[in-house]
Amino acid sequence: MGPVARIQALVRESERVHVRGNGSKPALHIHAAAAAPVDLSALNGVIDYQASEYTITAYAGASVADIAAALAEQGQYLPFDPLFPAEATIGGTVAANLSGSRRFRYGGVRDFILGAQVVDGRGRAFRVGGKVVKNAAGFDLSKFLVGSLGQYAIMTELTFKVFPDVPRFRSLRFNYGTLDAALKAIYFSNQNVYELDALDLLPAEDGWSLLARLGGYEETLPRRTERFADGMMQGAAACAVSEVADEASLWDPLAGLPGRYLCKVVLGPRQIPALDALIGNASRRYGVGGNLAWIASDDCAEIEQALKQLGLSGLCLRGDRPTPIIGRPVDNVLAQRVKQVLDPQNKLV
Amino acid sequence: MMNSAFFTALEKICPAERILTRDAQLLPYESDALTAFHLKPGAVVLPESEAEIIDTVRLCHEMAVPFVARGSGTSLSGGSLPIPDGLVIALNRLNRIKKLDPEQRIAVVEPGVVNLHITQAAAPYGLYYAPDPSSQSICTIGGNIAFNSGGAHCLKYGMTSNHVLGMKVVLADGALTQFGCESVEGVGIGPDLVGLFVGSEGLFGIALEITLRLMPQPELYRTVLAAYDDLGRAGDAVSMVVASGLLPGAMEIMDRLAIKAAEASVAAGYPDAEALLIVELEGEAPQVQAEFEQLRGIIEDSGAFELRVANSEEERDRIWKGRKGAFSAVGRLSPDYIVQDGVVPRSRLGEALLAIGALKRQYGLDVANVFHAGDGNLHPLILYDGREPGALERAEELAGEILALCVSLGGSITGEHGIGMEKREYLPAMFSEEEIDIMQALRRAIDPKEIANRGKMFPGGEAPALKQQGMHPLEKQGIISRE
Amino acid sequence: MATAIEKCVHCGFCLAACPTYSLLGEEMDSPRGRIYLMKNVLEDKLPAEEAQPYIDRCLGCMACVPACPSGVAYGDLLVGYRALQEKERARPPLDALARKMMIETLPYPRRFRLAAAAGKIGAALAPALPDAFASMLSLLPDRLPPPRPLPAVLPAQGDRRGKVALMLGCVQQALAPEIAYAAAHTLAANGVEAQIPQAQGCCGSILLHIGAAEQAQQIARRNLEAIPSDVDAIITTAAGCGSGIKDYALLFKGEPDQDRAADFAHKAMDFSAYLAELGLREARGFDSEVRIVYQDACHLLHAQGHEAEPRKLLASIPNLRLLNIADAGMCCGSAGTYNIDQPKIAAELARRKVESILAVEPDMVVSGNIGCMAQLRQQLKSSGNPLPVMHIAELLWQAHQR
Repeated sequence: MGPVARIQALVRESERVHVRGNGSKPALHIHAAAAAPVDLSALNGVIDYQASEYTITAYAGASVADIAAALAEQGQYLPFDPLFPAEATIGGTVAANLSGSRRFRYGGVRDFILGAQVVDGRGRAFRVGGKVVKNAAGFDLSKFLVGSLGQYAIMTELTFKVFPDVPRFRSLRFNYGTLDAALKAIYFSNQNVYELDALDLLPAEDGWSLLARLGGYEETLPRRTERFADGMMQGAAACAVSEVADEASLWDPLAGLPGRYLCKVVLGPRQIPALDALIGNASRRYGVGGNLAWIASDDCAEIEQALKQLGLSGLCLRGDRPTPIIGRPVDNVLAQRVKQVLDPQNKLV
Repeated sequence: MMNSAFFTALEKICPAERILTRDAQLLPYESDALTAFHLKPGAVVLPESEAEIIDTVRLCHEMAVPFVARGSGTSLSGGSLPIPDGLVIALNRLNRIKKLDPEQRIAVVEPGVVNLHITQAAAPYGLYYAPDPSSQSICTIGGNIAFNSGGAHCLKYGMTSNHVLGMKVVLADGALTQFGCESVEGVGIGPDLVGLFVGSEGLFGIALEITLRLMPQPELYRTVLAAYDDLGRAGDAVSMVVASGLLPGAMEIMDRLAIKAAEASVAAGYPDAEALLIVELEGEAPQVQAEFEQLRGIIEDSGAFELRVANSEEERDRIWKGRKGAFSAVGRLSPDYIVQDGVVPRSRLGEALLAIGALKRQYGLDVANVFHAGDGNLHPLILYDGREPGALERAEELAGEILALCVSLGGSITGEHGIGMEKREYLPAMFSEEEIDIMQALRRAIDPKEIANRGKMFPGGEAPALKQQGMHPLEKQGIISRE
Repeated sequence: MATAIEKCVHCGFCLAACPTYSLLGEEMDSPRGRIYLMKNVLEDKLPAEEAQPYIDRCLGCMACVPACPSGVAYGDLLVGYRALQEKERARPPLDALARKMMIETLPYPRRFRLAAAAGKIGAALAPALPDAFASMLSLLPDRLPPPRPLPAVLPAQGDRRGKVALMLGCVQQALAPEIAYAAAHTLAANGVEAQIPQAQGCCGSILLHIGAAEQAQQIARRNLEAIPSDVDAIITTAAGCGSGIKDYALLFKGEPDQDRAADFAHKAMDFSAYLAELGLREARGFDSEVRIVYQDACHLLHAQGHEAEPRKLLASIPNLRLLNIADAGMCCGSAGTYNIDQPKIAAELARRKVESILAVEPDMVVSGNIGCMAQLRQQLKSSGNPLPVMHIAELLWQAHQR
């Protein structure tokens, strides 16, 4: 029996089933301790990589590090920038929808997934989406898998669009006295021609830091960096601006976020001041131009309370929570209908 | 059923003058941009508010009346073909841009807003709405969502799906729901429902309010037009560009016949060639300048016999105008034609074009090729004369063979036009019986009475016979004539 | 048949350009829809009177023609259809009366002056009259200006650079004789001899526009006789006349006068296009900056394709600043007799147009067509911003005299 058939059999025979890859997001698994574990270890590695097609297909259990290494050999990368580049599997990255800072340039997981092979809650193995960079046939269930937490279907194989990577980077740090001033700087940048690879906002010693990364050709970067710095200083003056020498170290959004609990919150930059005022004790970083919050703390109640108050939902990645979703409950009639079709007995948890 | 009880109830939702039932009002809604199919709807309703749409859908569900939501009727797959004894819900009057937030790069719009109007509204803030189907001057966002419309610039920034962040929808059974959010991240916590809804071809329900992502207008475009005396060589040039690590905003190829049509239509001044390749770089000026030097070298090595660079916005517009009007311009070369839409892996483009060449000789029909080479999306235009008995059927058969070819090369039967009416019978070429069953089950879970855009996407069901439009009567009378 | 047409492929590109579609958002009020309706009527699948309201709502602005990638000559289609249908058409009595008045007065300057004077008296009754009459009355100026006589020949000043015949227009000659006066003198000042044959009449296009083909032909024949053939061009100063004369070939199709009509049509040229090609002799202009909106007349822009020429002329005037407005190519709702036939749609189009004009804060509005001028003048006035509205010939003549 092949690995996919084994998963199908397991689903058919079990009452509850749960997928766990490398366990880089422990909070996603606590609620399912009693469910039969799906073993993805046999579904590891790249299946098909066509650099000239900008597509790669890998088993869901493949580590994002292996995929990134294969791509790097051809000067390509996953533009959604997987969040746990050293530990995560690609399946877990899709299921939890976790992109890193470089997502700012071209888009997130949903923008690069092309298709998948899955096993649903009825034990059926089938394909969703396509394998070419453009496809409009049938319902796009592959996008639906993004953020689905393995509760609708178990991914066994995934196909992505990939892009050529840029050869060089430069990063700048702008310091602002207030959150408001830093947000104004984001708004100014948003209405200009700068094409940034990443733009993250985080509290600093005397206020707030805005980190910006530019990627491109060696010969054009100095000019672009200079003109970006000048433009920003003119449009939204910062207290200080400096280029960061060891720039690669800036771009792990989770570095420097200690705490027993870690969660992801999706929001718009305009919602940041209200949220930030309520979670002042937590460590936090607002990624993707302020469209995403990474919050870490030993006190999850404070975070949960803040999210509820603002009508936001969060996904806990770390910490001992009975369920990973906190804040406003996530419940949607369209998602329920899909569940009804793919997993009517609620086997996948 | 559309009985008098239905109309009485409908008139309570919408005033009678916005319910069209006379022949002169219904006939113009008979078909969209795929005129091989036309069916007169039972009625057309013109809602002017979200509440009217919701109530109308709920009424249709209650009385099991099938409905088709319609924007500007530019579908090339018959996606908005009406249903006889069904209702057309024409969304053109819901055309407000409800919110434009350039600081967050977001727009919130109603479904009847025209694609290009969003870009026009965002332009003063240095932003634009990226997806640019050829019909962008008139097609609506609602239709773009139903069919996940693409365009020439999908390679870098994706299709409609990649630019919709959130929406409020009424499902076919009347349930009202919202998903996604006003964040560039789009998907909140939980599965990507926006991604599922976009491209569902109107089978799930109607989008009432849509949050879109805006992008910064590129500071600089560098548009290059290269002429080749061989179609294959143009295809090879695309592979060379890709291999170089460049990521152009668009790469388009037109063959001789398509060039001829475009010339006849807009006199773009294209060179006389077997194939034209348009490559467009876009982005921050210093970076684009550097990329352009690299691109020039690649094109020069690729065997192009002529290379033109657009030096002004006007010249760029002219290059694109010929390309964007190419479909309709084929109307100047042939009384009738079918636009096809298939995808092949980019590396197999050459192979696909050779095979299409062989097929057209076999069928004795002309085929013009216009395609988004960057993502392997072919648009063969099959020319035929509908006045000739059997010609339409032969053209349809050839179209089918081209689709089978795309699938056999590992591609797709549609890149951006959708399945609609036209390609229902080809769905099994891409998906197994079980996969289609699952999609059907999903559809029924959302729309148990199968009232939303009934007859589209899935094979089977009563297909309307292909009909020939024929000459305009004034043409027959000799009052007007063709060149 | 000079004008060729290819079939509509139903792509919908014309919808974006169509003023009635943009206002009403209904398929039957779009060019694509109208073509489909005409086809169904002519194939006896639809009674003509059912389709008629939608055909009637067409402004005939021709904005759909340049928008069409397939090259459908919508104008020919519309004129052909209207002429065919008009013969068979029964109109409601009031409509018929208004139409008869238009056919019998508009093309004749003297009769029009009389009717206008009578109309002034009738204005007090306007609120009690149906929409169609009310709008006819509202277009009339408070009083008619005195005539500005012109000689049969106005010789060129200085070296002669050209020789043209000048069409005076009908309604225009009654309502604004200063336009032809300014045009003739501007031509002469730029070295062009202007012949102004007194036997000329209305061009007939206003009649053709509403489907009165027979009357149009009679009137046009008079012009074929009256205008000398040894001129470089036949100059029109009203956009509708220009494109109407361009349709003479179609009007006389299959008749003995066909060739003569085609030649006449070929020589017809708009005042601004002729002067732009010739170039102004010397650029005289204003002392301080004057901000101007140029309002494209549909029959200059869409029907005759003159977008650049009038702008080029204006740009050559020192201290004149040309402003761009949103939706510049959209009809102002004047469209021949449209503001009389479809007053509500015409009023809404005028409102939108004036809104985009006022948004750029101009000092004056310039156009090449009296219909647009009357429409804009009235709308500007009722919006409380009575900016001056001038014909391009008047502006050039004014600039020259400085």
